[in-house]
Amino acid sequence: MSQQITLKTSGISKSFPGVQALQNVEIELHAGSIHALLGENGAGKSTLIKILTGVYQPDEGSVKLLGQAVSFSDTKEARRQGIAVVHQERHLIPRFSVGENLFLDRLGEKAWSWVDYPKLHEEAKPWLAAVGLDLDPQTPVKQLSVAKMQLVEIAQAISQKSRVLLMDEPTASLTPHETEKLFSLLQKLKEDGVTIVFVSHKLEEVLQICDYLTVLRDGQNTCTSQPIAQYDRQDLVQLMIGRKEQIPAWQTREVNRQSPKLELRQVSTEAGHQDLNLQLYLGEILGFYGLIGAGRSELAKSLIGYFRMTKGEYLLDGKAIHVSGVSVARDRYAIGYLSEDRKSEGLILQHDVLQNSGITVWRKICSKLGWLSDQQVTNRVSPSIDKLEVKTPSLAQMVGNLSGGNQQKISVAKWLAAQVEILIVDEPSVGIDIKTKAYLHELIRELADQGTSILLITSDMPEIITLADRIIVMDDFAIKGDLPNNRNYEEMSTGIMNLIHS
Amino acid sequence: MASAQESSLSTNSRDRSSIRNFFFSNEFGLLFLILVFATIFALLTTGFTSRFNLYALGRNISIDVVIGFSMMVVIVTGGLNLSVGSIGVSAVMFGGWLIEGMGSNLPIALILLLLGGGLLGAVNGVMVVRTGVHSFIITLATMSVYFGLMIWLTQAEAFRNLPPEVATFGRTKIYGYLSPLLLISLGVAIMLAVLYRYTSLGRNMLAAGANPTAAELSGVNVKRTFILCHALSGLLAALAATMLTCRTGAAIPSMTGHIGQDWLLPAFLAPVLGGTLLSGGKVSVLGTFFGAVLVSLLTNGLLLLQVSEFWVQAVLGALLLSAVLLEKLRNVVLLQNRFI
Repeated sequence: MSQQITLKTSGISKSFPGVQALQNVEIELHAGSIHALLGENGAGKSTLIKILTGVYQPDEGSVKLLGQAVSFSDTKEARRQGIAVVHQERHLIPRFSVGENLFLDRLGEKAWSWVDYPKLHEEAKPWLAAVGLDLDPQTPVKQLSVAKMQLVEIAQAISQKSRVLLMDEPTASLTPHETEKLFSLLQKLKEDGVTIVFVSHKLEEVLQICDYLTVLRDGQNTCTSQPIAQYDRQDLVQLMIGRKEQIPAWQTREVNRQSPKLELRQVSTEAGHQDLNLQLYLGEILGFYGLIGAGRSELAKSLIGYFRMTKGEYLLDGKAIHVSGVSVARDRYAIGYLSEDRKSEGLILQHDVLQNSGITVWRKICSKLGWLSDQQVTNRVSPSIDKLEVKTPSLAQMVGNLSGGNQQKISVAKWLAAQVEILIVDEPSVGIDIKTKAYLHELIRELADQGTSILLITSDMPEIITLADRIIVMDDFAIKGDLPNNRNYEEMSTGIMNLIHS
Repeated sequence: MASAQESSLSTNSRDRSSIRNFFFSNEFGLLFLILVFATIFALLTTGFTSRFNLYALGRNISIDVVIGFSMMVVIVTGGLNLSVGSIGVSAVMFGGWLIEGMGSNLPIALILLLLGGGLLGAVNGVMVVRTGVHSFIITLATMSVYFGLMIWLTQAEAFRNLPPEVATFGRTKIYGYLSPLLLISLGVAIMLAVLYRYTSLGRNMLAAGANPTAAELSGVNVKRTFILCHALSGLLAALAATMLTCRTGAAIPSMTGHIGQDWLLPAFLAPVLGGTLLSGGKVSVLGTFFGAVLVSLLTNGLLLLQVSEFWVQAVLGALLLSAVLLEKLRNVVLLQNRFI
């Protein structure tokens, strides 16, 4: 293939306080191709996308567009030069019409010029047709399905004469049928000479549709703009995680499954689950596998009383309970939830280490009148912080200044300090380094050995096969099945995939 | 023990960094400004340092401090309470009615009027938490509702026959120039500092204000905590109005201005000058105290310099603007230099 190179970066480096996000990253995009950009969470994909679209400026390195060195001061500049991005979430204005959204940045020449709606809606038609959308441009965007909104965003991008179209997890919220339609559109755009960068966790889709491959790991290239035909699924995984999907040779654990520690019978929740049945046993690690949006975190939040249960029975040690709020779950029933989103749901970034790790125990250790001293909190949380080897200059350090791995350790430490009997761990290793990850795995196993029942939610196949005693597969807010883990990777991953697609 | 070593080490470094940080802090800046303006007024005016003026200034400071606190305790949640003035005057009018209309004795009336203020605050809190509407709108509405109800119930009549102890307390001088009201505001300051530093409730307030979702998922009852913040705000507003009543000797419907608006500027100025984060989760009791001192000092000094009342208001407004802008600038500079 002798294709023109639309965009090329060389030696891109970018660091944030405490983190080297990208180091010498190279990528070369060919005109009229679909280029896969892969990497685990925290590998630097989103930083790279933000640099290409002008959100961040690189510390070092250069970006060349059609051979010309460019530097984008902001997203507008990047878009003017023909680089558009379609994010995982939709960024349209729901109450505005499709046509208005399409031309939002150029409704008139001047801020005070008259908007010619008939003309605007007329001009919108060919762009909508180009993405296969057959609808009146006057329709308000809020009436569209998510898939159609995404197509409007793509229409917006190509109407701006974009040469490069970055797509971040475009199929995350699409049905299989909608995904097929999107892929045929991408094929068509590619034939028209548009360069598409495709970011996805779904490796099958990547292998199906992409022509070239770039993989990042810990902010560095492990594969740079190679034709994808030479790779298979296992190769992609190895490039992403640096080893084959293999698991430590841990013993299978014995779990006494006579009477469940926690049980759900025909439970429905306000989050959207219907008639769920579930058993979690004492000292068991129960894995919850599923794709993003399968309803696992929502189930976890229902178990701790953040969402209401609308129907069914919730039993703890065989007795029916009602969990009216997270404080009740924590203090009366000893259930804790370690959030997947530590920045917005797990930690209070502008508060210090001591406040963050002590938040779960204040009520427990304060006197009857509510008195509490820093020394008391320190005494209670230090063992957890020491055990997890949190690297912080002092307990007075603001948590927002720590690295991702250390932040995650503090999220864990606060639940260790709370001494819960049931711990729900949601995506514990997102955005943390391999060493911390291995350490967390050992810790989770140790907790279970000491009798804590663990509900482990993860989308990381090796992680679930490493840790879980039993694996439940969830899709679309329903439990699809239940597999005992025999720790054979091939067998288990096939079994899980079969359950998801059943 | 490793953990003992760790903790002593962290306490030390906390002390060291807090000494260094004090010179970068709002509190230090305010203290500096207070000293500068006090010197200027002492040199430029006659009568600033007179016993009478210092006494009057002290009384004003003590009331402004408590007004500032009544706003600060809600700003902690990332919200605000525009109805502080209305709640304050409604509470003392309620107290006046208890005494003059019901013949209740002073201590009981005092306790009930403070609780009444707390209740009006709690009503704000419940509505904010239940509806999810920003406290700006809720308290803008209740500011008018509370004031309107109070005017209707009292027929806009003042209570002027309060027990003599009220006015006597307001006129008491310790060492000839200190008002006992100042001791009350100091007491409140210490209690609030203890609340945020040494109680589980205070920490819950800060955590819930900084990041409600994270606090909720860690087991903090965020809704109840927010309602308590609003109730505390109402209680402090009632206390401030009671202190004002001691100064004037009567409970008057217009004592906090029309719908309580006279209190808004001092209520926001003190905490914002003091470095309380408007987005919630960070509070400075000492800063709010100094902020109120600076506001009262400027008002007093400018009036002594025969600047007209309207210009004083304009100066205070400008002060609020520059405080917000300076805070912004300070954060940018600190961030760029990686101090925080």
